Amino acid sequence: MTDQSMVKIGSSTDPYNEAKERGWNITDASALTGPLQLEADVVIVGTGAGGGTAAETLSKAGLSVVLLEAGPLKTSSQFDMQERAAYRDLYQEGTGRGTKDGGMVILQGRSVGGSTTVNWTTSFRTPPETLKFWADQMGVSGCSVDEMAPHFSQMEKRLNIHQWPQAPNANNAMLQKASEKLGYDWATIHRNVRGCLNLGFCGLGCPVDAKQSMLVTTIPGALDNEAKLIHHARVVRVLREGDVVTGVEAEALTSNVRGSTGQTITVRARRTVLAGGAINTPAILLRSKAPDPHGRIGKRTFLHPTTLTMAIYPESIDPFYGAPQSIYSDHFQWESVHTGPVGFKLEVPPLQPAFAAGFYSTAGEEISSSMDQLPNTQCMIALLRDGFHEESQGGVVELGDAGQPVLDYPINQYLLEGVRRSWGIMLEMQFATGCKSARPAHKQAKHYATWKEAKAALAELQIAPHKVTVGSAHVMGGAPMGDDPERSVNDCDGKFHHLDNLYVMDGSLFPTSIGANPQLSIYGLVYKLSSKLAAELTA
Amino acid sequence: MAGTAALSAMSAGATLSGCTSGGPASGMKHLRPEDLDLLRAMTPAVLKGKIRPTDTAAIDQTLESFDTLMADLSAPVVAGVLQAFDVLNFGLTRGLTTGQWAAWSKASLEDAESALGRLRDSGIGLLNAIYAAVIRLIISSYYLIPENAASTGFMPPQKVKGAARPSAPAEEATP
Repeated sequence: MTDQSMVKIGSSTDPYNEAKERGWNITDASALTGPLQLEADVVIVGTGAGGGTAAETLSKAGLSVVLLEAGPLKTSSQFDMQERAAYRDLYQEGTGRGTKDGGMVILQGRSVGGSTTVNWTTSFRTPPETLKFWADQMGVSGCSVDEMAPHFSQMEKRLNIHQWPQAPNANNAMLQKASEKLGYDWATIHRNVRGCLNLGFCGLGCPVDAKQSMLVTTIPGALDNEAKLIHHARVVRVLREGDVVTGVEAEALTSNVRGSTGQTITVRARRTVLAGGAINTPAILLRSKAPDPHGRIGKRTFLHPTTLTMAIYPESIDPFYGAPQSIYSDHFQWESVHTGPVGFKLEVPPLQPAFAAGFYSTAGEEISSSMDQLPNTQCMIALLRDGFHEESQGGVVELGDAGQPVLDYPINQYLLEGVRRSWGIMLEMQFATGCKSARPAHKQAKHYATWKEAKAALAELQIAPHKVTVGSAHVMGGAPMGDDPERSVNDCDGKFHHLDNLYVMDGSLFPTSIGANPQLSIYGLVYKLSSKLAAELTA
Repeated sequence: MAGTAALSAMSAGATLSGCTSGGPASGMKHLRPEDLDLLRAMTPAVLKGKIRPTDTAAIDQTLESFDTLMADLSAPVVAGVLQAFDVLNFGLTRGLTTGQWAAWSKASLEDAESALGRLRDSGIGLLNAIYAAVIRLIISSYYLIPENAASTGFMPPQKVKGAARPSAPAEEATP
């Protein structure tokens, strides 16, 4: 798999190259010179996993749909596998999004397709343990394993989600090998790809439209059904007449999506669906001053706080090439559901250079020599399953001075214990598979040459916020569903408890984190909710 | 990864002291003259083994990349970064937090390494966060320059306008 530089990639598959011929109605709001007013059956805010799925379902039922997206429309013709442009154009705040105290970096998508445009294609159904916990403890009805199965099945078919049939790249293979060696469970990941070339650039936008993101599946589907897509349009608030929501007001953003042009977009609709993702959806509710008698909006926002260990091997790993994630281990995930230490999923990330460099949180000769050995570097990540234990209540979305969302999520002792425990497990796995040296993501750590040395160092390192490196690519919760309005924001149909005609259909509905990469959980749930809404509106 | 996050609370002291300066340095979109002094001192320490203090061309190239990266972040993040720089630039807070009492333009490589070490090892989480932001931004700026990324052995495929999509191996769809 070495030297991909000779591979030449065309973009003959970009469906947006034929937008005109296909009669698609797409508006770039940055070019508006006056106010824009539209009417529709349903206005959908956001074009990611939730918005894309809802748009196709509702438009297929014959309903008129307007989709609003704050980010730009970037498609495979522009995806050139370069880090700088991808981070600038396709991520929230140019990858600068983080928690309020700077303790966690948050990777979240921001372009047409949302995070599905930049995710690593890993697809899991919501784990049965999670669905059961929601039913037993969080007041969620209608979401049992059996009730969800047909919806997952439908979206798996739609997005060609299947077990990855090719050999894992060396980065993933090491997770498998270590699991086998130490007797841990592991399995092969399912991916939403069609004709994947195994390049490894999913996080920078798939250059060949193999990833079955919303950008190339449901959004084209909705556009074929005469939905209207407006990008560069950031929704400021929902519009209300008394207790009835009547649509949304958006501001047009400049072409670089960093400022407002001063033009407004108003969409009046029979139903308003918020699907801006956790963080942005609660922020819209807060900016709209939506009724919140029990103070639930923005609370219990979860991240799967994720930490890592890096190891250097004698053999070539080339962690920047090949399907980014193909192997996982849940060996430490469900030892208990909501008691005891935090559970975590083990996976690996792709390591393009600037991305990898940011992981190290170290400087000087340590970073220089580490980066020189990047082709021999393997990285393990542990995704902590937050929101189940009583000591894990997640973060709180607030509004900053400019009305922008700020997530206050300090890393507490319960999570820090999970960080320390996961480091021990991952480092042992790396030494068991013959690495020359390995280091945990601690700012005062270094590469340790033996497991014994690493274990001794782990006992000494101060495990404190800001000393450890923790980040997230999964944002969940903040507007949870549930039958009890005192404990939730929306009912189990996604309808906002305290206003009419307003729905939430994205990952902010989750009452806890998922305990798995969340995209398929969003697809399945939103397919269920939007199908029901479509049936109601067409009855 | 920039990973700078919202650093908004980090530099109330410096901001309230009124010691922040005005606009960007000539040729820069965000970085101010005092930020350039700070980063010129810090860059060879952060990238020791890659850039020497005398490699002014490499330092300038990294700072240019840094300024471009700043423009690619959001306004609140940029404000947070500049506030963190205020803490490191303003004489009193610079001295107290980093031990660097003289101006950054007078700092040696050893001074910069010592300053980074103090920020990293401090018991104050805020200073650890400033450390993380400064080093991540400098390192990311360096590796966002394609030739530096290539120096690690990373060579992405070429995108060729108008070329066809290579065909994929047959996949077995087993949902």
